[in-house]
Amino acid sequence: MELIDTDIRPWNAEDVREQFGDSLSLLPSNDNIKELQTILRDKNTTRSDFKFYADRLIRLVIEESLNNLPFTDCEVVTPTGALYKGLKYGAGNCGVSIVRSGEAMEQGLRDCCRSIRIGKILVESDTDTHEAHVVYAKFPEDIARRQVLLMYPIMSTGNTVKQAVNVLTQHGVKEERIILSNLFCTPAAVQAVVDYVPKMKILTSELHPVAPNHFGQKYFGTD
Amino acid sequence: MAGKLNKFETPSSASSDSDMELALELSEQVFIDEDDYTRAPASPTTVPNVRPYRPPSTGSNITKSPRARRVRTASMSQSTKRTAAESILHADRRTIYTAGRPPWYNCTGGQEVEPFLIGICGASASGKTTVAAKIIESLNIPWVTIVSMDSFYKVLNEKQHQAAQRNEYNFDHPDAFDMDLLVTVLQRLKEGKKVEVPIYNYVTHARESRTKTMYGANVIIFEGILAFYHADVVRMLDMKVFVDTDADIRLARRLRRDIVQRGRDLEGVLKQYMTYVKPAYQSYIAPCMAHADIIVPRGGENHVAIHLIVQHVHKQLQLRGFKVREKLAVAHIGQPLPDSLYVLKDTPQVQGLHTFIRNKDTSRDEFIFYSKRLMRLVIEFALSLLPYSEVDVDTPQGFNYKGRKCDVEKICGVSILRAGETMEQAICDVCKDIRIGKILIQTNQQTDEPELYYLRLPKDIKDYRVVLMDATVATGAAAIMAIRVLLDHDVPEHNISLVSLLMAEIGVHSIAYAFPQVKIVTSALDPEINEKFYVLPGIGNFGDRYFGTEPSYDE
Repeated sequence: MELIDTDIRPWNAEDVREQFGDSLSLLPSNDNIKELQTILRDKNTTRSDFKFYADRLIRLVIEESLNNLPFTDCEVVTPTGALYKGLKYGAGNCGVSIVRSGEAMEQGLRDCCRSIRIGKILVESDTDTHEAHVVYAKFPEDIARRQVLLMYPIMSTGNTVKQAVNVLTQHGVKEERIILSNLFCTPAAVQAVVDYVPKMKILTSELHPVAPNHFGQKYFGTD
Repeated sequence: MAGKLNKFETPSSASSDSDMELALELSEQVFIDEDDYTRAPASPTTVPNVRPYRPPSTGSNITKSPRARRVRTASMSQSTKRTAAESILHADRRTIYTAGRPPWYNCTGGQEVEPFLIGICGASASGKTTVAAKIIESLNIPWVTIVSMDSFYKVLNEKQHQAAQRNEYNFDHPDAFDMDLLVTVLQRLKEGKKVEVPIYNYVTHARESRTKTMYGANVIIFEGILAFYHADVVRMLDMKVFVDTDADIRLARRLRRDIVQRGRDLEGVLKQYMTYVKPAYQSYIAPCMAHADIIVPRGGENHVAIHLIVQHVHKQLQLRGFKVREKLAVAHIGQPLPDSLYVLKDTPQVQGLHTFIRNKDTSRDEFIFYSKRLMRLVIEFALSLLPYSEVDVDTPQGFNYKGRKCDVEKICGVSILRAGETMEQAICDVCKDIRIGKILIQTNQQTDEPELYYLRLPKDIKDYRVVLMDATVATGAAAIMAIRVLLDHDVPEHNISLVSLLMAEIGVHSIAYAFPQVKIVTSALDPEINEKFYVLPGIGNFGDRYFGTEPSYDE
């Protein structure tokens, strides 16, 4: 595959805002995160390492996604008797994973929010037309009143996510209340999704013209 | 005395045998029950009870702590209370409970207090070791180490080895000792550094591959037949004791020891005595007496002399007492924050987590859960500060990916007990197979000074990048002590990162001032500390809240 150098330019926050508005935010990168991405990209990484480092990156992406949830200021008293100005997250969030690779991110979410409700969507692509359609969806009953953290690690065309968002909106979820947690995506996919649902928030760790499509297979060991 | 003590032989309180890792402790009160006097201490550092054969010309090589005699307490909290009640410097109290090693450095990180070095010189079989053991016993303070000159015998070649077998090698001549190594080791001990003391095998006349690690002594006793021979050694000694025992008695002891205990024949023993031992005494040992501060006739039987020595040492130690923490707390007010400080980005999540763990009404279950989440973030952040370089990898998609790779191969976590231990899980979760060292530092309730109690680090820690973990840093006194311990183990300063959930500005200043190259990583910085040295607004006592050992409010 031939890649032009300008395609894989590193995206900074300003480029992202210029291109995609406020919809997309990037996990603030550092050497540690870059190393995790490198290990996941490397074809020589063993499965055990792949899962270990994928889980680390997922945890960081989930933690960052949670920053997009609504919160209110509050004050608490510390054991020393002093006042601490902090903030408090509201109740009424839920996670939704897109089967199968999105399920890899469920544990990361559970590790941060122990008893959060998690819904699932199964989207299958037609092998001939590449058209995605929803096969199965199960959500908490009151999902319409909740903030939804949609989990899908790899996005190369955005078709699957578009279908998933369709199902959510059919269940009464407002698109501005959906946050998409993603590890790797292509600029094209982001563009497609942003054009389709401009009010949804997307968080990813890397924008790159080639997505590591082997993620699900390697993570679950079905390669 | 010597024979009786052999049964209890354990490493001296500030040193240990070192097969795999170094250990240092005087924590018998933690491991051993009240009624456990007769058993050898169950500490993990107990050396195998194998006594190597020794050359006939030297005294007995006993290295031991006073622990056999000490009354033991069952739990650490109990011992802390007692330490508070009884100063370790009360010489006449027969039972003094173990205390930690008080600070030995000042608030610039430099050395403030050198260990007190006592030299004991005397002829073979004069009772040097007995005197040393009695001094330790009467001193009744922890962190005393005995260094025996016997450890520094030169390695013999095959010819010399055979001569030694025929009693024709002169073990009493100054040339039999590796004086350069001796001077180096004593100098490093004096500087408070970790040393590896060779273990001399008297059967092969070579050094064993393992060494005895010594670190952290407050008082060092150096004994040997030629202890005062080398001018550099004499200069280092703070107190020089010469044990002067009558020649007849010494010969009688040698005969008994070599013939009865070691099964040698009378002829050989006398030959060696007349050829080497006696001339050496007259030529090299007796003249050493001129250097002595105190000459102890009759050796270990001389209670008055030992009492005087012990009183003098106590007085010297008392004069050296000083306060680090108070100095730390007032220094560096109003300075700009140091460059070596890295604070985790203050996102809503981080603030939300802090809100949970700072709230005094948070249940322990939630406290643990949310502090763990925060720890994970801090550790990930700390790892991002290590050096990285570019790397190209091949991808399954067939193109070349320009990534980053950490330059550090060996990372070691070191937790400052107790609160720092809570962060071990977080670092184990992100670094596969990481080695974890531990340092126990407790605050002396009476002086409010930090004291070192226990230390266990990977053997080759100097080759590691060390992530030092403590949940909170107030004055920085404990962290500074821990960093100092790492430096004493030859970890380069720039290879240390100190990672905490919460730090007070004052502590950050103190640490950065003392150790400017140490990376200081935290998730939040609080402006103040209160008179009890708690951070404000703070978290409270992190360890107590995490482990559920808060004092009950009914009391």
